[in-house]
Order: sequence, then structure tokens, then C-alpha cells
Amino acid sequence: MNWETVIGLETHVQLSTKTKLFSRASTTFGASPNTNVNLIDCGLPGVLPSVNKEAFYKAIRFGMAIGAHINQTSIFDRKNYFYADLPKGYQITQMDLPIVLGGSIKILTDDSTKIINITRAHLEEDAGKSIHDEFDGFSAIDLNRAGTPLLEIVSEPEISSAKEAVAYMKAMHQLVTYLDVSDGNMAQGSLRCDANVSIRKSGDSELGTRTEIKNINSFKFIEKAINFEIKRQIKVLESGEKVTQETRLYDSAKDETRPMRSKEFANDYRYFPEPDLLPVVISNEEMQKIKDEFPELPTEKEIRYQNEYGLSSYDAQIIASSKSMADFFESSLTGVKNYSLLANWLIGEISAYLNKELIEIHESKLSSENIAMLINRIDDQTISGKIGKSIFEEMCINGSSPDQIIESKGLKQITDDDSIEKVIDEVIENNSEQVQGFKSGKEKLFGFFVGQVMKKTQGKANPQTVNKILKEKLAK
Amino acid sequence: MSIQFKSITELNKLLDSKAISASELTQESIQLAKKYSELNCFVTLNEENSSKRASDIDRNKKNTSLLSGIPLAQKDLFCTEGLKTTCSSKILSNFKPPYTATVVKKLEDAGSITIGKTNMDEFAMGSSNETSFFGSVHNPWKKGFVPGGSSGGSAAAVAAGIVPAATGTDTGGSIRQPAAHCGITGLKPTYGRISRWGMIAFASSLDQAGPLARSAEDCAILLNSMSGYDSKDTTSLNADVPNFLEDINQSIKGKKIGIIKEFNLSDLDTEVQKRFDESKKAFENLGAEFIEVSLPNISASVPTYYSIAPAECSSNLSRYDGVRFGHRAENTDDLNDLYIKSRSEGFGDEVKRRILIGTYALSAGYYDAYYKKAQQVRRLIKNDFDQVFKSIDLLMTPTSPNTAFKFESKGTQNPVELYLEDLFTISSNLAGLPAISIPHGQVNSLPVGLQLIGNFLREDQLLNAAHVFQQNSDFHNAKPNLENF
Amino acid sequence: MDQETVRTICYLARLKIDQNKSEKIQKDLETIIELIGSLQSIDTSDVEPLYSPLEMTAFKHEDLEKSDNKKNKFLENAAESNEDYFLVPRVVE
Repeated sequence: MNWETVIGLETHVQLSTKTKLFSRASTTFGASPNTNVNLIDCGLPGVLPSVNKEAFYKAIRFGMAIGAHINQTSIFDRKNYFYADLPKGYQITQMDLPIVLGGSIKILTDDSTKIINITRAHLEEDAGKSIHDEFDGFSAIDLNRAGTPLLEIVSEPEISSAKEAVAYMKAMHQLVTYLDVSDGNMAQGSLRCDANVSIRKSGDSELGTRTEIKNINSFKFIEKAINFEIKRQIKVLESGEKVTQETRLYDSAKDETRPMRSKEFANDYRYFPEPDLLPVVISNEEMQKIKDEFPELPTEKEIRYQNEYGLSSYDAQIIASSKSMADFFESSLTGVKNYSLLANWLIGEISAYLNKELIEIHESKLSSENIAMLINRIDDQTISGKIGKSIFEEMCINGSSPDQIIESKGLKQITDDDSIEKVIDEVIENNSEQVQGFKSGKEKLFGFFVGQVMKKTQGKANPQTVNKILKEKLAK
Repeated sequence: MSIQFKSITELNKLLDSKAISASELTQESIQLAKKYSELNCFVTLNEENSSKRASDIDRNKKNTSLLSGIPLAQKDLFCTEGLKTTCSSKILSNFKPPYTATVVKKLEDAGSITIGKTNMDEFAMGSSNETSFFGSVHNPWKKGFVPGGSSGGSAAAVAAGIVPAATGTDTGGSIRQPAAHCGITGLKPTYGRISRWGMIAFASSLDQAGPLARSAEDCAILLNSMSGYDSKDTTSLNADVPNFLEDINQSIKGKKIGIIKEFNLSDLDTEVQKRFDESKKAFENLGAEFIEVSLPNISASVPTYYSIAPAECSSNLSRYDGVRFGHRAENTDDLNDLYIKSRSEGFGDEVKRRILIGTYALSAGYYDAYYKKAQQVRRLIKNDFDQVFKSIDLLMTPTSPNTAFKFESKGTQNPVELYLEDLFTISSNLAGLPAISIPHGQVNSLPVGLQLIGNFLREDQLLNAAHVFQQNSDFHNAKPNLENF
Repeated sequence: MDQETVRTICYLARLKIDQNKSEKIQKDLETIIELIGSLQSIDTSDVEPLYSPLEMTAFKHEDLEKSDNKKNKFLENAAESNEDYFLVPRVVE
């Protein structure tokens, strides 16, 4: 039996506005419980919402980037249900007239690209957080997150595998970080994914019953959760049973999905237009301003890096693919003469370090001024590339500038012929056996001499000069 | 010298001439509230704080505002920081808000003194003040009779002369109808004229705060301070607030007043009809012209309102879940049990009825037929008004089809009976238009009210017409005999 | 209005009606629904619903922080809370 997987993803993106969607409380992550809560966020009697324009501008920027239609007049609706972290007993969301309609995202899988169409994207407020395991017999409610603006993006059910789902989420991550719409941090919850998964017999046109998987908070878990669910549904159908339409939670510890208790009862959300908020209109002037201030996207950067800075298309693509990397590259450019060398370091040493520490470049101690300085010092031969690497290690640890390190450790490269010649003479004199061996044909011993010279000069001798003079001397 | 029954204007004269101090005035007001506690107008008296404020005002001496030192009563659904705000409900019976409503703040900034929070129908749902958790309010004109609702406590407090004025709210007639039953003046302004920040919501697209006082002139004084755009309420109007006292004395000669054909006034009680005809004559004598007009959809007002208001309230009242404030039931098994028990214990029957109706009207399969349909009819009603106001200045109707009635004599068997009390007042809430009720006589020793409805933002026209009528009549000066209390 | 519907809307609203009152409530609800059902006879084809009496659009505010947080007062108002959180009976997901 050949089974076909049909996946639709609902992505909740927490917008990186400074304040909440309907109140002016701060949205900073990690604040002490119940401190980023204004009267409105607490759902107290008598409070009223007010609209944060920046949330709209970010949503529109996203819509423009995916080629969607922007509803310049949109409406908020109430979604009514009861839950401990929903203070008003309803969520203000957009139902009939969302801010964004349509559009598409290009995703890159291992061997191809695919276009995934977007159904719609709308603004809504986030709920608070419940903590179930910390207080004996109680669940604790923290409303810091309540009211934070979310953009809920719904894809068409055009994703056909767990790998494609991951590719979609990665593309989403790149897009929202690039557009400065969100910091896209899955671990912290500013990028969330609910997967609607169903399977059907290959060739069938009708969709199978779908389940919704919630609580997936990393790219790795997206793949695992979806693959588990696909296998589970296949097993169910192959045993002659029917798949139950339900909401399931992904348990990363057990690597399985299971039905979610609190969603057991079907809910009638009784949507109706929010009477405390009038229709929101985005003027043509505001639309134009958003267009004018539109940030450069990865593909544009790729082209520009090649044309203006002579990077190879490979290097350009890698640097442009991450906003923080691209930002860093661009701010280092002004101090640097050798763009390619800068690019090599970014893609090589620096990326390796960041990957090892699992941080982004803006979270490290490296500054673009210092990296630019490092590149320049290597480029003008003040230090060798090898010394550069050890200086870099120190820069990572305490953020000092290359010049400071070179100065304090006396690491300047030795480049003048006379000093190097003196050292070479010493080495040759003290290693007559190896000299004999070399002269009798053991050419590999050349490396030994280079090593000895480097040892005596603490690696500071300019390698090219060493090679040149050593060759001359050994040839005699 | 008693301050009972004195208007704001009269009290100002006494304060200005130093015949009385703000402290004495406040003290007397509180004493009166205690003396007539049987009326049950107040849920909470604000004795200590109001004395403090009054002393501050006396010390400050600068008396620039017409409200400076004037004692007021605030309906108990306006949040007052640190002072209990209950909405006359068990579910909020111990709630002390951490903030103050804009309206209250504005009135206090203008120098007024909040002497207490008044009793009301629970969550403003009712037309008789009989649904209050704290018991019914007596009509000062007749013990055992309702004062009207939902601002029954405020109306009774003003009618009994305890305070010269009070705030109320009007969603379907809740300022005007109790004003009529208690023989005082009450105004519902244009929707959006007054900020709803801190005004505990019943039906968001219909609720509006307003003044109750002994005269149109006093209502104008309060309206001046209460009105204005508030950035915390994005449904408040960014419109200029005129000085409502400025043109209040203008002649009303030539003003065109419409009589609504569809309100078959001949169906009313003969005496109520008689009073209406007499007032019509009085306005004609003052130079107004009467025209019969048609508002074809107006008889649909009551069913329209009772689809929309309960729907909005069913959602607005979801926040009363026992979690963050208000009554929480004991011995609950889990979260759902907590919700169900807390809300069922905390809400009275009328509130429950309206929440259930509202939930039904919004539910899947019924939304189009009830809620959406009602909002469509609402537009038709509003269009009718817009059309008619092209050729007239004001509309005139009785405020209520009846005078005040005995406790428990209406609505106990059939709730719709009470709903029909709002027949004449409801349509202006649906259309967002301003309206005023003024006393114009008595039937069987109980006050009867006359309603004027104005065009969008034309409270000035209402106040002008009402004031001129009051300058040429004495109805608003009648005082109840309080010896039975 | 059947018992099933009454039960459903009661659950959606998280309300429980006492046994001895349930018949009257059901009757009341039926009467009110009959009242509001009378609107069916009015022709509203092509009529836009009027959700607010104001023919205007929403004011949008700037993305600038202005806190009116009163954490202690908020938590004090709750029936059960500790110094940091509102507390409810434990929810099992």
C-alpha cells in the first residue's frame, strides 16, 4: 500500500514589537512573573484594548515579502473559550477579515525547491503561561506573555513530508528574522509550529482525517513528531481502524504524540466582531512607508555581495542566508580591504566557533571592528594566518582587540630576512644529521626544519620568507 | 439650613458665599445617606476619604470649578481605586479595583467629592433595580415601589436629595427610565462622548455613562466635566466638547420636534397620555413646531436589543471566572468545576439568563439568524433616524410606558414583561444617539418622564429644550415626602 | 429549546442551573428566543450589519512602553495566589 502524506502547518510568530498588541506593557523575554502585565493584560473589569500600530506594520511587511494581498481595512474578532491563562475568557483575533491573504514561500529541500502557498496570516494576542508542576496541587498562572502580538500564518496543505515541513519552518525562520518581524527563536517560543497531518492512499484526491500536533519547539522535533504521527496513522489505517480527528501533544522525551486532554470537548468559539475595537485602516501613506523601508532580502544580498564585493556565489549565499551573519559582514566591511579573506573567516573559523558554542554571532564577544582589524593584520602580514587563529581564540573568550593581544603577547610576525636567516642558520647548525638526511634525498625533512624555525620564533616567522631562505640555504 | 434637595447651582451659591464649607456639605450628604438608608441607594459609603477631600478643597480655597466641593454619588460599576466596586453582584462583592475610571477621575479633578457608590441592577441588567445582590432600592416617592433601573440607586439618591447629582450608565434606558420613575433629569449622551475606561462593561457597543441631576442645567455642568476623548478608550470620540451651558438659554422658537408615528401613544395609560399631550402644548407655547415622522423599523428595537446586548454581555462577563479576582467557589475538583461553581454562585438569575441567551445567539448555527440579523436590523433603525433628522431637530416620546410599579409585580413570571419597559428608550442606544428624560408631572402620585432624542453629538439641543421647558414649569422642583423612610 | 441545547449553552457559559430552577429557565429562554426570533420577518437582504454606532476607524498607538503594572495589587485581588503567581487547581494536560 502506497501512502501519501498531506501536511499543513500553522505557524505562530511572536512579533518583535517593544510592547504588546493591545496594551503598552513591555514584551521583554524572561521578566519576573506578572511584571510585564498592564491593567488591560490582566483582563480586569472595565479595561479596554488599544491597537499597536507597529504590530500591523510588521504583519504587513511579512505579507509584502510573500507576495500576499494586504487587507488595508481589517477587523478584530473575539474567540470565546475558558482557560486559566486566558484572562478575559476570550482571545482577540482576526477571523473574517485578516490583515494578510494569500502569498507563497519558497522552500529548499536537499535536492529541489518547492513553492508552498499561504492561505492567510492574521494578528492575534498570545495567552499567558501556565506552570503545572511547580506548586503542589496548583497550577500557577503568569500573564507576562498574555497580550503579546502573534502573527498566525496558515499554509495550504501542500507539504508532503517531515523534511519539507522542516524546510518550510527554516524558510519561515529566515524570512521573519530578515524582515525584523520576529527573533524567530523556537526554543524561547517566539516561533511555534502546529502541524496538521493526514495520510491518504497515493492517487486519492480526498483528504484523510487529520490530527493536529501541538507543542513542537525545535526543527529536530518537527521532523520526529511528524514522522511518528505518519507511522502511527498508517498503522491505524492498515489495521482497518479510522483515524480520530483530535489534537495531540508531542512528547519529546518519549518521542511520541498523544491526545491532549484539555481539548477533549469540542469548542464552539462563538466568533463575533470585537465591539471595543473599530475596524483598523492602514492608509496608502503608511503602506508606502512600509514599502520604502523594506529591508534587503537574502537573494538581493547574495547578488550584491558578488557584484560589489567580489565574493564567490557560494560564499555570498552562505553569508546572506543568516541575517545576523549578513549584518556582521556588512558592518565589518568598512574597515576591511580584503573582502574575500573576511568572507573566508566568517564561513570558516567564525562559523565553526559559533556552531560549537550554539550561539549567534551577535551573542558572542566578537565585534565587527575587532574582526575587521584581525583580517587586516593577517592581510598586511603583521601576523600569519596561524597566529591569527590563536588570536581569534582569545578574542572569543575575552572580546579584546587583536592589537591588544598582539601587543601583550608580542605576536608580531617576524618578516625581515636578516632575523629569519639568523634563526635558520642556528637550526641548520644544530641539526647536522637532519641536514645530511635532507641532502641525501629525504625531502620530507624540509618540514622538520620549518617546524624548528617556527618553534624558535614562537610561530612568528613569516612562513613564505622561511621557505625561501631555507630552500636557499639547504641547496648549498 | 439643609442641603437636601438643593441643586448644584444653589449649592455653589452657598459655597461661594461661605454660608457652608465643602466639609460641612459632604458631612451633611453622608448624614442624609445614613438617615435614609432604608432606601438602600448605596452599596458603599466613602465617608473617610470624602471628608479628607472636602477638607483639602476647603483649604485650597481656589474655587474655579462649578463642581468644586459638590458631593456626588457614583454608580457602582465605575471603578474607584481602593474603594469597593461591586456592580451589585455577589461575584464582585469584595472587589477593590487597582485603578479609577476616567469619568470618576475627571469629575474628581473638577473638584467633586465621591460620597459613595450607588446600588444598581446586577451588572446593569434590569429595569427596576430588583436584580441587585444587595437588595432592591425603594422609590423615594412610594415605599415598596421600584425606582427603575439599572441606575436605580443613583436616581433615588438624587430624588431623595441626598446628593445633587450622580453618575449612571445607560445601555437600553438605564439612566432615563429611573430618572423618569424618580422625577429627576437624566441624560444619555451620544455613544463615544464619554470614555468607557473603568466603566465595567455590560454591552460594549451600547453602554454609555451619563449624569442624573435635579435639572437640565445641572446635567450640563456634569456633562462638561465628564465628556471628552480618552486615548485609553479607542471608541471614544475625538470630537470637540462644547460648553454645554453656553447656549442652554436660547429660545426654542422654530425648533422642529418629531412625534414618532409607530409609537401608538393611544395604547398608553390615559393619564400618561394626558401628561404627554399637555407637555406637547407647553412646547408649542414656547415656539416649537410638531411634525409626525415615521421610523418604520422602530418597533423592532426591543427584539434587536435583546439579541445584541446579551450576546456582547455573555462575552464581557467571561472574565468573571474566579481566577484573578472576585468570588471563587470553595471545594472545587478542577479548573472547570471552579469556573462553573464560582460563576453559578456569583451571578444572579437575570444575569445568567442574559449570558445564556447571548451564548445561544452567538453559537454556531444560530449566529446568522440572531446576532447578525439583529445587527442588520440595527442598521435599518439607525438609517431611519438619520433620515428623519434631516428635517427635524428633536424627537419627543414618553420615557416609559408606565410609572413606577410595585416590587416583584413585573417580570417574575415572564422576563419579557420587564424588557418592554424599555420600549421608548432602547432605540437611541442602538443608534448611538443622545437622549434626555425630564419630569413632567405625576400620575397617581408617581412621577412621569418625558423623553427628547437628539441628533448625533447634539446634546446641546436636548439640554436647551429641556432647560427652557424647566424654566417655564415647576415639575422638576417637586420633592418626595420621605416621612415613611 | 430542548434540554440538550440548554445543557450545551450552559457548559459553554460555564454555568450550572439548579435542578429546581431548570424548568423555569428553559421556559424563560424560550420566551426570550421567541421575542428575538421575531426579527426573522424583517427583510435585511444586502444590509451591512452595524457592529458599532460609530462610523469611524480605530486609533492606532505607538509602540512605546508605558507600564501601569501593580503586581502586588493584581495578585492580592485573587482568591488564591502567592507572591508571584495566580493559583488555580492543578491542570493536567
